[in-house]
Amino acid sequence: MSDNKKAFPTLTRRGLLKGGAAVAGGIVGLGGFPYINRLAVRAQETPLKFWQFYAPGGPVPSQVAWFEKTVADWNDSHPQKIELEFIPNSEYISGPKLATAFASGEGPDIFIISPGDFLRYYNGGVLKDLTPFIDAAAKADFPESVIANRMVDGKIFGIPMEVEPMAMYYSVKAFEEAGLNENDVPKTWEELLEVAKKLTTPERFGVMFETQPGYYQNFTWYPFLWQGGGDFQTPEGKSSFDSPATVQALKFWQDAINSGVAPRQIMGAGGHDTIANLASGYVAMQNVGIWGISQLQSNAKDFQYGTFPLPTPPNGKYVTVGGGWAFVANANGRNSDAAGEFCAWALASMDQGSIDRVATWCTKGKSDMPPRNSALKAGGGAFSTGMIGKFAEEIHPGTRAEPRVPPEVYKIISDAIQQTQLGGADPQATATAASQQLDAFLSSYQGAPIL
Amino acid sequence: MTTIAETAARRRHAGRTRLSAKHREWIAGYLFVLPDALGLFVFLGVPMALSLVLSVFEVNGFGGYSFVGAKNYLRMWNDPLFWKGARVTALYAVMLVPLLYVCGLGLALLVQRTDRFNAVMRSMFFAPHMVSLVVVALVWQFMVVDKIGVISKLTAALDIGGFSFLGDPNFALITIVLVSVWFLMGFYMLIFLGGLQDIPRQYYEAAMIDGAGPIARFRFITLPLLKPTSFFVIMVSMVAAVAGAQAFDIIYVMTKGGPANATSVLIVYIYQQAFGFGAFGYAAAMASILVVALMIVTAVFFALTRGGRFHHEQ
Repeated sequence: MSDNKKAFPTLTRRGLLKGGAAVAGGIVGLGGFPYINRLAVRAQETPLKFWQFYAPGGPVPSQVAWFEKTVADWNDSHPQKIELEFIPNSEYISGPKLATAFASGEGPDIFIISPGDFLRYYNGGVLKDLTPFIDAAAKADFPESVIANRMVDGKIFGIPMEVEPMAMYYSVKAFEEAGLNENDVPKTWEELLEVAKKLTTPERFGVMFETQPGYYQNFTWYPFLWQGGGDFQTPEGKSSFDSPATVQALKFWQDAINSGVAPRQIMGAGGHDTIANLASGYVAMQNVGIWGISQLQSNAKDFQYGTFPLPTPPNGKYVTVGGGWAFVANANGRNSDAAGEFCAWALASMDQGSIDRVATWCTKGKSDMPPRNSALKAGGGAFSTGMIGKFAEEIHPGTRAEPRVPPEVYKIISDAIQQTQLGGADPQATATAASQQLDAFLSSYQGAPIL
Repeated sequence: MTTIAETAARRRHAGRTRLSAKHREWIAGYLFVLPDALGLFVFLGVPMALSLVLSVFEVNGFGGYSFVGAKNYLRMWNDPLFWKGARVTALYAVMLVPLLYVCGLGLALLVQRTDRFNAVMRSMFFAPHMVSLVVVALVWQFMVVDKIGVISKLTAALDIGGFSFLGDPNFALITIVLVSVWFLMGFYMLIFLGGLQDIPRQYYEAAMIDGAGPIARFRFITLPLLKPTSFFVIMVSMVAAVAGAQAFDIIYVMTKGGPANATSVLIVYIYQQAFGFGAFGYAAAMASILVVALMIVTAVFFALTRGGRFHHEQ
């Protein structure tokens, strides 16, 4: 018993107060000690966090390798280290991870965003002005059409790493089974639905457009709106959504569903997933972007496919949409200058390493069109041969940049697409109602220009 | 003459004896509850209070706050998607709660009557509840996919196909309800089993001697004596349907609130506003209203059923 008492001395109230005061005093006093100061210095040396969604061991290993090499090359030559942090795609895109991180003041130092998210972050004041880190020659290397939706008042707030035009992909096997060949590739909307009908079987749909509501669905629908000469706002910033072009585009997607040639529900990760939809045989034609080439090459090597530009409506002209992600730096990060410098060093320097990095990403990492003229040259033959060559020659020339819109505008457009495509609503009535909502929002909008 | 120390010791002793056994039990009880109460206060009470505060601010999600008074609540009033969400939530709850009740109780009765495979059947029916909800949603999404899903093929073979389970606004919510029931019914089966085992067998034996059939026994013995369990099941499943994580996870994975907002229950819309659009203040206002609505419904139900108590306990 006595041993126990020695081992666990009775804690008196006075003793507790004394001990507490000593601990508190110690903590306060330590502030002046060199050890604590060293901790502060170490905090500055902590690697900057770079958030992205290319998973280690992910479906396309070359993409992860590119990110790892880019960061390793920077770390080898710069005192401020950077660390890659993988965020699952579902949490990254329209997910809670970034939103909660910024809301709690713990946002990443460097991250990637699509044009669909640009205004949210810019209007929130967290995007670092990257212009001071980019020299004039490099700035001029980005075509205006590519960089414009990452700029505000002539300043660059995001550096694009790719341009991703949308097209149609088709299964050669499905075409052959239906007695079709590459000469039957549709050129008009009407032909597209006719061919899709021939390709539709009890086990397969003829054509696929994205069906899940989200930024991606809006992105894939824009070309159909533009092809008929439509848009969602006028140059003066008023709604132009209530137009024959809008009605026509909404009706086209609705017709594809109502005629039974397009599915209401898609497979896999979504409309951007060629493996789960096209290669699996679920659909014969799929509306998807240039990244489908690397997806199929990595995960369905034996799958025979072809691509063709988006068909056009009567009296319409060919146009497609070009998406793509961009590097951005957190203006409120721990070392935002170093973060900004990294973004420019990685993708927007006239140094050959930077140019090659962009070219490598677009040819070996993720089959894309480069956002820089110099990278297009550096890629050389890769952009003029094979499937990427076809994109460069036939599909890419009609590319218009993905619009950047605030979430409220995205939602209005998204609801209009969903209501008509899957809800069976009247396209004209839907376009009119959506246009009124757009006007109501645009009249009070005060953020950076919607493009 | 007594010293000061002796007087103090006597006072302390006198103080101790003044505490009755009832009081000591009372204090002990509260001390036992204290850790949980503190946890609830810190992780539930404080966030709820903060959420209420947040609802009168416009918050952009990047550290910008501005006081807007009742603006978020007015916005809600004029937001058709909020009302659509409220309608979908009510519909979801109205379909889910009775179905869960019937299936949970039905399974419990079935399992209770089986002697030989009792453990196997209990495990089998409870198994879905052990699987990750996201996996459940993904598997079902695949099973009901148009044309090639197993269930789609089955319905087509039975000539009742031709529709899209998750792609048609008329069927999507029903499909979500059925998947939710499949996932949750094992859990409620266990709760009902507990309730059924509390009913003394003598009641049934007496009823059988009196000639009561199975339906009469169920109606006049089982159902009335299950009242507290039924109350618990209905309350918990209603909260799960309106604001539960299960409802959110299944819907978000399977439909993302689509098609055409047909499955956009309020909790999904709140999530979208907060994390998709960064409208934290507006989302907090909607969440506050949802909590108040849930409290009112609970209070009314509590009053109507007297909290599930038996009459003789009143």
